[in-house]
Amino acid sequence: MKFGVFFEISVPRPWGPETEYNVYQNCLEQARLADELGFDQAWAVEHHFLEEYSHCSAPEIFLTAIAMQTKQIRVGHGIVTCVPELNNPIRSAERAAVLDLVSGGRLEFGTGRSATWTELGGFGANPDETKKTWDEYVRVIPKMWTQERFSHQGRAFSMPERTILPKPYQKPHPPMWVAVTSVGTEIDAAERGLGSLGLSFGGVSEMAQKISGYRKRIQSCDPVGEFVNEQVNTVSFLYCHEDDEKGIRTGQQMAGTFNYLSEQTLATRQAYPTPSYLSPGLLYQLRQESTSTPEGKVPQGLTIGDPHRVAQAVRNWEEAGVDRINFLLNVHETVPQEDVLASLRLFAREVMPQFAAADEKPAPAGAAAENHA
Amino acid sequence: MPLTGTRDLSSIAQSTPLLTSLDTEPWELKGAKHLQLHFELGGDRQALLPPALHPSIPPTLLINVTAVPDSEVGAFTLATVRVGCRAGARPRGLLVRGYCDSTSATKLLRERWGFPVDLAEVCFDAGYASASANVTSNNETILDGDLIDPQPITGADVQYMASLNLARTNWEGNEEAILLQVDPDYTFEHAQRGRPRLNSFKEIEWGLPGASATHPISASLTTVDITLPSLRYLIHPNREPLAAVERLPEQ
Repeated sequence: MKFGVFFEISVPRPWGPETEYNVYQNCLEQARLADELGFDQAWAVEHHFLEEYSHCSAPEIFLTAIAMQTKQIRVGHGIVTCVPELNNPIRSAERAAVLDLVSGGRLEFGTGRSATWTELGGFGANPDETKKTWDEYVRVIPKMWTQERFSHQGRAFSMPERTILPKPYQKPHPPMWVAVTSVGTEIDAAERGLGSLGLSFGGVSEMAQKISGYRKRIQSCDPVGEFVNEQVNTVSFLYCHEDDEKGIRTGQQMAGTFNYLSEQTLATRQAYPTPSYLSPGLLYQLRQESTSTPEGKVPQGLTIGDPHRVAQAVRNWEEAGVDRINFLLNVHETVPQEDVLASLRLFAREVMPQFAAADEKPAPAGAAAENHA
Repeated sequence: MPLTGTRDLSSIAQSTPLLTSLDTEPWELKGAKHLQLHFELGGDRQALLPPALHPSIPPTLLINVTAVPDSEVGAFTLATVRVGCRAGARPRGLLVRGYCDSTSATKLLRERWGFPVDLAEVCFDAGYASASANVTSNNETILDGDLIDPQPITGADVQYMASLNLARTNWEGNEEAILLQVDPDYTFEHAQRGRPRLNSFKEIEWGLPGASATHPISASLTTVDITLPSLRYLIHPNREPLAAVERLPEQ
């Protein structure tokens, strides 16, 4: 089992001149500490227009800052929205390659398609098309990274032959992932040989079923890249405290705030009837996971509470077949920065060593790639 | 905390229904044609909502026209315009004024579910190539819109928001403006999606001063069985969102 951190960058109102600056600086400090403590990855989302919930609209720049301020931690660019109105695929490939170069081969590349009308509508994207454009992107981007000359005639975009530069530092290319929220997306990931970036916070039982299907299907996959990235990541809130009750209370406040903020956005399904968005997506799942247990009970995958409780939650994920948990450390600045850092330190001291032996398992993310670093 | 509304609804509540009982039996409306035109909403996003509600991100305008071919009060057509919003974390549509073409249906909708509707001429024409709706009040067109370029989808693709109807009731001895949550059940027979077009919209007549439809999102036309439910929740419009929702006692 490996551990990472996961940044949404939520910014509470009122927005003063320093508010966003302070939140970004807090996140960078958290990433630096995570690196020192031995966390394996730092992921940053791509979201647009999601007021208060996520101000992380240029994750490649934020991740570059993390890479420049850290030594070991890998940088997870995810998810990159694979929709032409938001990201030209050539630019996505170029930006990712630069990030891989400047980080010394530490890039993880996550892909997805956005779940909100807030974002898709803001860019004038057609929700009917996003699954198709995502599929096209994940097939061409590895080719852009590995072929000296590249041309393409497709549905989402076309281009005459050019040399797309630079090439990533990792050879043949960085590990690729898919955000898995909608039902069946884990099979899409498996069929293409992509890592599963699970985003259903706290949902162990549901995740176990998805992982089982994923592991089975990926054995016969037709990889879109140069190698198969058979890895399963999940996401959970982290608040670890010596006092179990305080840990739970603070963690639940964080989860509740996250859900409340996320529900203020306009899900694609609520606005635009389409078979392309059958699942309510991440936001609905989050709410379900945090409200589906009896009052006072902590969902079995939520990593909140004292070190003993948090370790048990990690074991639950491990038994479900998860390879890595990425932790959301704060939401809306509900937890003071010093407490966030203390939680990270306590987790690293008391919980992380319990899972150190499992680190010797083969095939960490990108293991199949030849890494120069 | 997300933004909340700033509107005092009490000034327009006087013309809304006064409910003497919140104990309502469900009402099934079979074979209805339902048109929804969905737009992004321009203007001051907090000005149309009371403090109990959050504007959604982005705020939206929902135009709904329902033609019921038969019911216990006969055929009728109901037109509403709502503001898409959030009650806490729940998606809702605020309804402060609507129109119906049947005297008896208007009376029933007001008395049992607090629909703030008045009598007007409501025309709804659903064809294969388009569906259009027109509302005329006092010889003036106050709404004219349509769905164009329809294509088939399934009912499973459609999701309607529950309404919050502005009404009045005697709450703890005092007459008070309230928002009644009406969350119908839908059983879909056919569904189409198209593009919404709005040719005329008099926002004052819908109790939404300053509202404008700025950006089209979607339009849907369904053939559907609708069940108006028993009332289960109300919202106190002037309370802050997390303290505004009241669950009604089981009847």
